Parts: sequence; structure tokens; C-alpha cells
Amino acid sequence: MTEQNDKNFGRRQFLTRTGKAGISIAAAGTASCLLYDAKGPPRQAVKAEELVTLPDFSVPTVTGQTMSIIEGSDRKQTVTKAIELLGGMERFVKQGETVAIKPNVAFARPPMLGATAHPELVAAVVELCRKAGAKLVYVTDNPIDASASCFTLSGIRKAASAAGARVILPKAHHFKHTTLADGKLIKNWPIFFGPFARVDKLIGISPVKHHARAGASMSMKNWYGLLGGRRNIFHQDINTIIAELSMMVKPTLVILDGTEVMVTNGPTGGSISDLKRENTLIASCDMVAADSFGCSLLGLKPADLPYLAKAQIAGAGTTSYGELKPILGTV
Amino acid sequence: MGLVQRRAKQLESAISICLVSILVLIALAVFIRQSDYDMGRFGIETAVGEPITAKLRSLAPAGFETLSEIEVYHAENLFEKINGKAPLYIESGFEKLFTQRFISKDRESLWMELFIFDMAALRNAFSVYSVQRRADVEILPDMQFGYRTSDAPYFVHGKYYVEFIASSKSDELLKAMIAAAQKIQTNLAVDKAAQIPELSLFPQEDLVAGSFKLYLASAFAFQGLTDTFTARYNFGDQTITAFLSRRPDPQDAQLVAKSYHNFLIENGGVAKPAINKTLEGKVVDFYDTTEIVSATGPFVAGIHEAENQEAAEKLAVKLVNKLSEAAIAPPPRVPVVFVIIGVIIIIVIVAAIIAWAKRKKLSYRQSND
Repeated sequence: MTEQNDKNFGRRQFLTRTGKAGISIAAAGTASCLLYDAKGPPRQAVKAEELVTLPDFSVPTVTGQTMSIIEGSDRKQTVTKAIELLGGMERFVKQGETVAIKPNVAFARPPMLGATAHPELVAAVVELCRKAGAKLVYVTDNPIDASASCFTLSGIRKAASAAGARVILPKAHHFKHTTLADGKLIKNWPIFFGPFARVDKLIGISPVKHHARAGASMSMKNWYGLLGGRRNIFHQDINTIIAELSMMVKPTLVILDGTEVMVTNGPTGGSISDLKRENTLIASCDMVAADSFGCSLLGLKPADLPYLAKAQIAGAGTTSYGELKPILGTV
Repeated sequence: MGLVQRRAKQLESAISICLVSILVLIALAVFIRQSDYDMGRFGIETAVGEPITAKLRSLAPAGFETLSEIEVYHAENLFEKINGKAPLYIESGFEKLFTQRFISKDRESLWMELFIFDMAALRNAFSVYSVQRRADVEILPDMQFGYRTSDAPYFVHGKYYVEFIASSKSDELLKAMIAAAQKIQTNLAVDKAAQIPELSLFPQEDLVAGSFKLYLASAFAFQGLTDTFTARYNFGDQTITAFLSRRPDPQDAQLVAKSYHNFLIENGGVAKPAINKTLEGKVVDFYDTTEIVSATGPFVAGIHEAENQEAAEKLAVKLVNKLSEAAIAPPPRVPVVFVIIGVIIIIVIVAAIIAWAKRKKLSYRQSND
């Protein structure tokens, strides 16, 4: 400002300018308040008729053949035995059927770290399905982190393909919106639906892992991979979302791998020091029961994982796995 | 209106128009950006424009080359990389994650992935490091809090928490990872003066090396215990966990200690007599384990879930004595350079005010003349 200006800058002019500045600030503030949308833009509306529901893939119950627990270090042998004790893969997969296998492929990590389903186990299940007469076996998951890297670095792509499965990586057109009846969280939410729309059977394969948020990640948590969108928001209510997933997905069979258990730093781990060898594998038609036993491999009780009780209340299975009289075996 | 005044007014108008135009452009840009709410479009960032990029590329150890682009994650999309572990970092002050894969030039099966978590401050980096630290490790003395398992090294570098994953258990990979780690220490500048003073407040005798942990929130499931350090001690065949938390002042320390004591009692704990009378009223039997909580100066400190009350009390007394010395020690002195800069700033401000006032007074007189 020049000296001349300074000289003529009187009290009145100062007050006028201050007033104008004040009015401008107030106007901008008011406009911001009026335009501020606290709720954010509405979720893309999906018509009710466009909502999808996952089919029920479960098979009829056979008393005494709901769950098997096998001890052994060789995954191919343990899973073969576990399924054999439940009546063989022919009980679950009929000649000419199409099967989807959903392993946990959440991370681009090598199999050694136990953060994903073990490729040898996935391959063994693919082979069993094919031997039982499956026309087609898909292996698929929806990792958030670059899916191609996850399938490749986890070794699952190579192992599944070699065993005769078709590996499906998620694409945008695979996602459809769903609403879970009586669901609190899964409402008009996109799910990884495409590969499951045309299959006859669904098998889940997951490792037993510590989970920083949920306590444990096992069969039920494996279905988290079906959620699309910004699914991390569900971590705020992890027990409810896992319970709702157990209501949304009715698999044919789940295989819970406790051969090497990630006991710390889950769900990603990062070192073989996070693993503990338990040499246990569970096959079950009741995933709540499978997880209720599986958590014991982490030193937990079913009561330590609130989502198990919620799932039981919702009718997804039982936490009292002993009542199912699991068949025990060793290989 | 004089010529000078007119020119000044024109200049002010031009500046105002420019400023308003800039504001309009900003508003327009915000509007356009906000109107696209498809979060699917906001994928993984590559590190273009990040100052750290060039440094990360140079970290490839001898015999290795980059396998992928550097990826950058922030709080909004960290879950895409580490899913359920993201909250652990985000709740500890996480700012960014940089990842880079390297692969052996000779053997495709040998690859590693480097994770550099920018945690904004040394304390935050130490916190996420400490709660994930593996047992039965080999210490890497050249690295801050460095250790290695049989397959990978882990360490803190200033505000960064650094870890690797290996494609397989391999000596060659491990050597390459440690070489990359050393390059990080050399190439990535950090505030070397930053320290964690609480670590020196724990008694050294019987301390299990590398057992420090920092819980930034809700230590032992009690919300009031924030910024809480723990350390383990060997007592025969048992280990005992000691803890301390520095509060803003002694009154707050008393309050938190009392609240935690009450929390224990409300959750099934039972107050029990102390063997050492200086700890009377501070010992709680909590489901057959001993909890001790006390306030010493600005510190809340004690013992957590000890199986042996006598050993727990011995350690508690040692801890309290050490904290008593720290509590009466004079507060850390402000570096002289900061004092000098502060004084200079104050002098400049005062001089400017005096000069302005004189000038106003002079111009007022001139206008009256």
C-alpha cells in the first residue's frame, strides 16, 4: 500500500472494508452449510427385480456324516480321507454337475506364509470333484488387491489349472446387488455373483488364521471375498457381517485347513514364524460347527468369537459341534 | 482522487479479480471431482510424484530387479492391500504405505515384497512394530529395533515401519532383504533425533530383550490407558509384564490409576493385601493373577497379569523407584537454538508494531497539518 493510500485509509473506509470482508466470509460459510451433504450421494439405486440371491448349494443332511476331522500333515491325503468319511465326493458332486470352489485368495502372498488357501489343497479338491464326475470346476475369489497377482503369487492359479479347473478372475460384470432378508448390513450391496449363478455346487476352502479384527478367519470369514464395493466398512461391525455371510451363503461343503495355522499377526501374517503346525483338517457341511472346532486350533473357544453365536441364532449351523458326532481320522 | 490512489485502486481491483477467478476455478474443480463418486475409479496409486519413488527404485539389492511398479496406499484404501489388518495401522497414525516387489535376475521363484509404512512419527511406527514383533528372533543390531525371523527382517526407521515378505525360505533372499534394508537406512532421511524416552524408564535387570510394546489406545481393554508401554521380565521360569503410561500431569495419573483399579474390580477383580506395605491398596487379584496399579508423578505404572504376587511386587517396587527418579528430574530443557529463534521472532514482531504505530501517528499528523 502506498503512503498516500495509507494516509487516506480512514476509520470509515476500514470499517466498510472489514464489513464487506465479513459479509463475504459469512456468505461463503452459509453457502457451504447449505450445500454440504452430510449423507453423501445416495447409493446407486437398484430395482428390486434386479437384486440377486445366491442359490442354496447345500446337500441333504446325513446323520453322523456332517463333519470329519482328520489328523495328518499331507493335505492331499487328509482332505481325501475327510471327504471319504463324509460319504465321498460323489455324495456332494453328481455326474455332469458344475462346481465352484472358493478358496481364500485374499492376498498376493506365497503359500509358505499361510495367508491364503494352500494350492496343493485346492488342487486336491479339484481332482476329487473331477473324479466324482464334475463337468466343470471353477476356482474363483474376489481379492481386493490385484486379483491376478493374488492368484499367481499364492500358487493357486497354477495348481488349480494343472488339476483341470478353470480359474475365474473377478470382472465388473460379475457383480450384482443383493439384499439379505433380515440382514442388517447386506442391503442392496454388490456381491461377486457371476461365477456362482450357473454352478450346481459350491465348496469353500480356507486356512485357519488369526484375524486382528475378527479374532479368527476361517470358513465363514472366507465368504467375505464375495462382497464387492468398499467392503472395508464392514470391519466396523465384523461379527455381524460374518454372521450375515453365513446366512447369505449356503455351501455344499467347507474345508478348513489347520495343517499350519497362522496364530499371530493375521490375517496377512508375513513370516513363517507366525505359523504353528497343527496337522488338522476339517471337512464339514456345517460351517458354524467347522469354525467352532477350528478356533480351538488358535487356542480360542467358540464363545470368544461372537459371530459364531450370531450365526447359530440365525440358523446357519451349530457351535456345539460335538453334537454332530464328528468323524475322527488319521492319515 | 490522486493518480497514485487511482493506480493503487486499479491494482487492487486486478488482484481481487484474479483471486476471485482462482476461487471460482477451485470451486469448479471441486464440483467436477465430487460429482464422480465411483470409488471403483480410485484404484491403487503408483508412486509417480512421490519423493520417495526414486529412492525405492534404487533399493533393489545386487542380483535383483523390480518385479512391479511401486504401489502407494493411504488410509482410505489400505484395506485393499492388507484387508483386516488395516485398522491396526490406521488407528496408530498411518499415513501411507509404499510397496515394491523385487525378483532375482537368475531365479524366477525368488522374489520379495518390501512394505514401507509411513506412520508419521517414531512412536506410531514403534507401536505397530511392537505389537507384531515375533518371538524367538535374531536381533539386527544395526537397525532401529531390528530383528529377523528365519525368512525376513523387520525394523523401524524413524517414522517408517519396514517389513518384507519372502517367496520362500531362502538364505539368498534373506541376504538380499537385509541389503535392501541397509539401503533404506542410508537413502531414506528421517529425524534421527527422535526418541522414545519411556523405554529407558523401565528397570533393566531381568528385562526380556526386545519385549517392549506400545499400545496407543485401550491397553488391557481399558479405554483410559492410552499411550501405554509394556515390557516383559524373566523371573525364574515365569515372565511378568510391567507397564507405564506418561500422563499430562500427576493429577491425571492419579485419576487414570484409580479408574483402572476400579475397572479391574468392576470386572471381577478383588483387592488384596500387599506383601510390601508401600503397595498397599494397589494390588488386585484378577482371576488368580496379580494386577498392580499405581501413580508416580505423571506416570501410571504397574504389573499386568502376574502369576506370582511376590515377584510382581518386587518388580513393581523397582519400577516405581525408577519412575520416582524420573518424576523429580527437571523437565527436558528446550534447545538453546529454539529459545534464540523465539526471542528474535518476538523482537521482530514488537519492532514491527512500534514502527507501524509511529508511521500511523506521523501520517495522522500530516493529514491534520
